[in-house]
Amino acid sequence: MGDMTTFNIDSGYFEGLVRGYRSGILRRNDYHNLVECETLDDLKLHLQGTDYGPLLANDPSPLIVQTIDERLKERLVHEFTHIRNQCVQPLAQFLDYMTYGYMIDNIILLITGTLRNRPIAELLPRCHPLGQFDELATISIAQSPAELFNAVMVDTPLAPFFSECVQDENDLDEMNIEILRNKLYKSYLEDFYAFCKKLGGTTADVMCPILAFEADRRAITITINSFRTDLLKDDIENLYPKCGILFPEGLKYLKNAEDREEVRRICERFGPYKDLYNGVGDGPNDKTLEDKFFEEEVKMLMLSFEQQFHFGVFYAFVKLKEQENRNIVWIAECIAQKNKNKIDNYIPIF
Amino acid sequence: MAEKETYFFRATDMQMVEMFLSQECAYECVKELGELGLIQFIDLEKGTNLFQRSFVPELKRADEMERRLRYLAAEINAEGIKVPIEYEIPPAPNSTATESDLETMIGTLEDELKEVKKNLTALRNSYVDLMELKQTLIAADIFFRKGSGSLWSVPTNSYSLEEGDEGGRLHFITGVIDRDKVGTFERVIWRSCRGNVFVKTVEIKDEMTDPDSGEIVEKNVFICFFQGNQLEQRVKKICDGMSCRVYPCSEKTSRRHEVRDQVTTRLAEMEDVICQTQEHRTQQLKDIAVDIRSWIVKVKKWRSIYYTMSKFNVNDTRTGFIAEGWVRTCDLENVKQALKRGATTSGSVVMPILNTVGSSMPPPTYHPTNKITKGYQVIIDAYGVATYQEINPAIFTVITFPFLFGIMFGDMAHGLFLFLFGAWFIYKESYFDLRKHLLDEIISMLYHGRYIIMMMGIFASYSGFLYNEIYSKGVDIFGSSWRMPNDDQTYTSSDSVTLDPKYDYGPPYYYGIDPMWILSENKLTYLNSYKMKLSVILGLSQMTFGLFISLSNYRYFGRVLDIWFTFIPQLIFLECIIGYMCFLIFYKWFFVDAGKSNPSILITMIDMFLSIGSGIDSDDKFYEGQEFVQLCLVIIALCMVPIMFAAKPLIEKYQRNKDVADYEALSYDSDDEDLEEREKAEQAAELDIWVNQGIHTIEFCLGVISNTASYLRLWALSLAHSELSEVLWDMTMYYAFEWLDWDEGGCILLIFIFAAWAALTVSILLCMEGLSAFLHALRLHWVEFQNKFYDGNGYKFLPFSFSLILENEENLEEISAI
Repeated sequence: MGDMTTFNIDSGYFEGLVRGYRSGILRRNDYHNLVECETLDDLKLHLQGTDYGPLLANDPSPLIVQTIDERLKERLVHEFTHIRNQCVQPLAQFLDYMTYGYMIDNIILLITGTLRNRPIAELLPRCHPLGQFDELATISIAQSPAELFNAVMVDTPLAPFFSECVQDENDLDEMNIEILRNKLYKSYLEDFYAFCKKLGGTTADVMCPILAFEADRRAITITINSFRTDLLKDDIENLYPKCGILFPEGLKYLKNAEDREEVRRICERFGPYKDLYNGVGDGPNDKTLEDKFFEEEVKMLMLSFEQQFHFGVFYAFVKLKEQENRNIVWIAECIAQKNKNKIDNYIPIF
Repeated sequence: MAEKETYFFRATDMQMVEMFLSQECAYECVKELGELGLIQFIDLEKGTNLFQRSFVPELKRADEMERRLRYLAAEINAEGIKVPIEYEIPPAPNSTATESDLETMIGTLEDELKEVKKNLTALRNSYVDLMELKQTLIAADIFFRKGSGSLWSVPTNSYSLEEGDEGGRLHFITGVIDRDKVGTFERVIWRSCRGNVFVKTVEIKDEMTDPDSGEIVEKNVFICFFQGNQLEQRVKKICDGMSCRVYPCSEKTSRRHEVRDQVTTRLAEMEDVICQTQEHRTQQLKDIAVDIRSWIVKVKKWRSIYYTMSKFNVNDTRTGFIAEGWVRTCDLENVKQALKRGATTSGSVVMPILNTVGSSMPPPTYHPTNKITKGYQVIIDAYGVATYQEINPAIFTVITFPFLFGIMFGDMAHGLFLFLFGAWFIYKESYFDLRKHLLDEIISMLYHGRYIIMMMGIFASYSGFLYNEIYSKGVDIFGSSWRMPNDDQTYTSSDSVTLDPKYDYGPPYYYGIDPMWILSENKLTYLNSYKMKLSVILGLSQMTFGLFISLSNYRYFGRVLDIWFTFIPQLIFLECIIGYMCFLIFYKWFFVDAGKSNPSILITMIDMFLSIGSGIDSDDKFYEGQEFVQLCLVIIALCMVPIMFAAKPLIEKYQRNKDVADYEALSYDSDDEDLEEREKAEQAAELDIWVNQGIHTIEFCLGVISNTASYLRLWALSLAHSELSEVLWDMTMYYAFEWLDWDEGGCILLIFIFAAWAALTVSILLCMEGLSAFLHALRLHWVEFQNKFYDGNGYKFLPFSFSLILENEENLEEISAI
């Protein structure tokens, strides 16, 4: 009730906006047409007929996939910042939380890049624009997670997520970066989860399952990726975000898993993930586990639009739009390389 | 009905045509048709994707050219070049050959401009570099001069020691950083170097332009002091990350001044070069600016021709196209001529063929308009475009709309202002027509409605004259016909006068309302009753008129059943109730003597229905035999209801059954299942008919009462308007005249009071009230008038016409004009 009576005072306009944006998301029909394109210029011609309109009108042909990717991203960022710049608390905080994920990705990208001796000027344009912040560029001076925190991150909103890494004086090598990423993500997800819980109402109802799913997805991915490493079981457990459905029982089993088959058995014990492994395999018609996760996520995000007066739609919109961008870029990539065998591997949204 | 007269009231006759165009002449023919704007092509390739149609390459080329033109236009605008607003619209390019000339030319121009721009940006970049170096050197002076004080004392000591002892030596880095990054920069340095680096910044006073974006940016010069190699690496990394520019700078003042002098000379040199390049570029852009609009038009036309042709069906042998479209029947000959011209220009051997064909699709609606009727047609179309060939209400609206508005807005002065406003727009028409895109949304709406506004002004002034109202005051033009109750008494403004027609009235006032009413106590009672009656009479007239329009439609479309069982019962129902009321109104005006009896119309009407057939007191009676007449009217009116409801569906059903019987008599072998299904569908359809008919009947019967009541808004709004303006006068000007002391500067105060009164008059009485009266007039037309006859299920005739396409061309509008 509380949501219904007061939500629109502060956030109704933005929900309206985002629902408007949502209706611009491409339909199956559009994808069918896109897939039929022969060249990227055809793709441009078809996109003109959709909500994207003159998105690519000012780019000289021949187009390249990178331009398309950039324009799509620009547009999403434009729409997101338009809402972010106008909204008030707590929606502003919620949207900021959404950008933290991108900030973490950017940090990791830069650290990995510097480790490989790439110049920072080359790396910066590759960062996701939603995760930009002033200190980002100075990350290259950090040699260890502790230093990273003390010198760069302490003033940023990401500082609380570093709580577990403050003492970490290890050098940043590939492995440690991966661990750092997962630790940051874990704190971030748990914090975001708690924040949504605190907001309560429909927002919590919608967002918590989505974030729980995200948490479990990370836990499963971490497990699978850790198979051939010398990580200790307890260290692995430390990386699991503790806000998913798998927590606490499933995670306990998961940390001891030794191969994919075992992970699969553990997942199948939990209702929501029962069908996750259906159709997963290495065959030509099988899908990867990653794709199945994406599909599942898209389904959840789509459903969040069925309810009103909550912040989940903002999260869902950005994520769905990202998925759509991935789809378009995938199709464009297939067209550009004249390899249409796998062009149907996109994940349709509506 | 005769054919000719339909053109005025009804949509122009449309004809579906089919054309066979050979490959060679198609382009030229479409071009000719586009210049004339005669035909609305139908998309014959609806199922096909845009990029699968013929002429995709041409469309893509057009897109590319438009992109280049947009780039050129943007550059011209950025440079602030303006071109005269008038320009000649060039014809569409003749053939593809000349078009590719234009294409290459635009291409080269774009490349040239880009090249020049690149050079210019590079020049500016190095210019900014030098500027920043100069600023750094200037700022360094400040740093080091300050340094002679306490802050600098420690470092100077270490300088004197230096030489061999590298570790103790103090190094520094100078550079330039964006001002908004200074805070982060200082913080990051402080944190990452644990406070061992001393940072100082100075704001650069001069404005710097970013060479890439051309925006003005603010920057600071910074200087960092530190010891040791490690810190140096670190600071350099941070500078790198924050995209600061580091400039070398000597610690020796003399050396710095030397460099500064060099830099200053080089800056002066560069300024010259930049200036020349810029001039060259501006000249180039100016040359382009002269022609660019004609290029845009050409490309647009070229593109639209191919776009239209992509709607055509390619015939099987791929030698030509089949096109279909709607043409006004009267234009058929012109289309033929255009095709012939097209074929001749292209030198095609195969002549294009034009056939008229039948079509099951409803034709589009086209009403010819002129400057005056266009606004009204837009109002009607906003409700719904007329179904093909039903009577177009816009023509009547030209008069009735401003008239009803005037009744609600009756004031001579207010109407005059409205008239002048509209007339000014009309006077400036030729100026505004060229600059339509410069008007903002609201102004442009007013501009498009200029004729409506002017006419509304005329009618408002006229009804103001009838009401005898100018700023709520009356004017005595013909001399009042009232005598004061006591002729010898002198009246002051505080006395109230009640006018009683029994005693005080002479011969009637010549025209409109007698000015004496303004002073009278019972002014409102009189005016309200008068205006209410007027509203009902006008309402009845307009509704009856609407019904007769529906009769004309029924006759035109040959719907005989509707004439007998819809129109006639509706008319009788309306006239028996509201018509009778209006009869009573007139009767009372003409025959009832105020001195003797005073029967109430309202009560009579209520009693007529609530106590049917009962007797009426002689005091309340209008005429002899009133009871009988009223009884008859009620019975007739009520009898009309079932006729309206049931007659048409019953007769239609009877006819259908007869048809089916005939059909079944012909076909013996009908399947049982088939029959059952058909019966089910028939039943559903029949239910549908009955529900529809029921809704229509109820709507009409209730509408007779509610629509009449709705017309009372004429009275209500007019009352509100005159009351508002009276109150406004009383609260401002009246007080001013009454209470201000003229000797003690009262007249100065009057200026302000007048200003307040004038401002409120314009904002409330003219704008707000005007808008409200406009909306109410709109509603009366859309609902009360049009629901009697208007179907409004048509769609507009939008021919393929270059002038229509160019009207909405944004690229043209973007070029700033003088």
